[in-house]
Amino acid sequence: MTTRWSRLGRITMVIGVLAGSLYGRAATAGEEDDLQTQIETQRAGVSDLDRLDEARATTEEITMLRTWLDEAWGLRSKHEYDQVREVLDRCRSQAELIRQKISAAKLRLQVQKRELTVRELRSKIDATRKALQETQIKNKALEVPTT
Amino acid sequence: MTSQRIDRTLLAALSLCLGLAACATPPKPRELEMFEGIRKNPGVADAAKKSPELVAAADKLAIKSGEEWQSNDLEESRRDALMAQIKLKTALAISEQEQMKARIQVLSNQQADAEEELATASKDLASATEALELRQKLGAAQKAAAADRERLSQQMSSEQQKAQAEKQKLSLQLATEQKLAAAQLALRTADTVEANRYAQAPYSAAADMLKKAEAEIKAGDLVGAQLSAEVARQHAERAAELAKPAYEQAEQTTQNRARDEALQRDATAIPGVAVRIERIGDSQRLVISVQDLFNKRETALGSGHEPLLDSLAVLINKYPTYPIHVLGRTETRGKPGELLAMSQARAQSVSTALAARGVDPRRMTVSADPAPSADAKTAPAPRAKSNRVEIVFLYH
Repeated sequence: MTTRWSRLGRITMVIGVLAGSLYGRAATAGEEDDLQTQIETQRAGVSDLDRLDEARATTEEITMLRTWLDEAWGLRSKHEYDQVREVLDRCRSQAELIRQKISAAKLRLQVQKRELTVRELRSKIDATRKALQETQIKNKALEVPTT
Repeated sequence: MTSQRIDRTLLAALSLCLGLAACATPPKPRELEMFEGIRKNPGVADAAKKSPELVAAADKLAIKSGEEWQSNDLEESRRDALMAQIKLKTALAISEQEQMKARIQVLSNQQADAEEELATASKDLASATEALELRQKLGAAQKAAAADRERLSQQMSSEQQKAQAEKQKLSLQLATEQKLAAAQLALRTADTVEANRYAQAPYSAAADMLKKAEAEIKAGDLVGAQLSAEVARQHAERAAELAKPAYEQAEQTTQNRARDEALQRDATAIPGVAVRIERIGDSQRLVISVQDLFNKRETALGSGHEPLLDSLAVLINKYPTYPIHVLGRTETRGKPGELLAMSQARAQSVSTALAARGVDPRRMTVSADPAPSADAKTAPAPRAKSNRVEIVFLYH
């Protein structure tokens, strides 16, 4: 009976060790794929950001982001997953920074356009007023012989 | 000996430096320095209001980075500093967006105000331009009108000048013709007094000047014609003035002669009278001798002589300018005083009878001739012939 239980125990232990070994390998492989997916997703996002940055206001930041994604890729290859997650977290923040800077740049561009529009309007107003003044002077001058 | 001692000293100093360096804090990471630089940005305060969580997280990471740097954990320090930078920059970007939005709002308001202002100014300019165009059109019309007026004025002036010149010419022509007519009239007036006969010199001068004036008119020299006509007129008037007395005298003589001849014819036509002309010196007189008017020794007119007396009265009244002398004559036989008285009475009777027939008594003088008549002396004329009354028309 004891022998019987011993064998069963041994078999169970062997199976457990084998299962644990297989599970560990499967878990490691899933984390790596997940990090790869995140890196690729972020790389695709960088391209989108690059297209959005029409004013080229975040060229440096985008370059840096790409560098960091490459770094993350390298760390993933070395199975330094904690560091990969840390770099990816920084990359997400950097991407957010880029989005905000792009929005700010677009707003700045709008401001510049509106300032230009206002300046042009002011210029037109000045020109119109000057023309009006000249016309009024001419009218005044023509009033004398008329009256 | 000395060099060995120096070498030992240098080796000891180097060893001391290396030891100190091994115990000192490492250099601050560049990322942390950059964060601190960004943190000094004045916009961070505003960013902290807009995104307090981000700024707080950045500060927290920076503190952690600093601690890690102090702990010589440089890699961790750099990573946290980088993360702190990213969060702080994100907060700044968000803050900038808010500022830009506010700025856009301000600019939108300014743009709206400016557009409204521009619209107002443009409207004013359009009105002023329209007014200017109208005034310019008015000015152009006024100039055109003034030019027309000037042109018309010049035309009128030219026409007026022409008319004035024509008027002056006509006036001159009229004045010349008037002067010429005056000269012609004066010359004709001179003709009426036969100035060509009694004042030949001025008359000839007047005629010559008149011809000259007519020639000058034909030649167009109106001024010269006027002067010539004026001179002709003066000469003609002078000629007329000079000729008038002689002409009048001659005319009067002619008239008197004609009247005398008419008187003689009319007197001769009266039946029962004898008519003769007597000349005494330069004067003449017509004598109508009437016989048989009285009976013998009577002084009253006999009957049947009325027709004769009527004829005599008619003749005397027909020629009213002649003074009439009624002369009584008698025969030679008798007392002279009585004869004279009888002759006087008979002449008076005839005068009275003539006056009764309308002859003005003031024209008549009555007398008796005391001397016998020539007929009575020279010829044995019958008494009736000697006893007669003579009606004498005294010539001028």
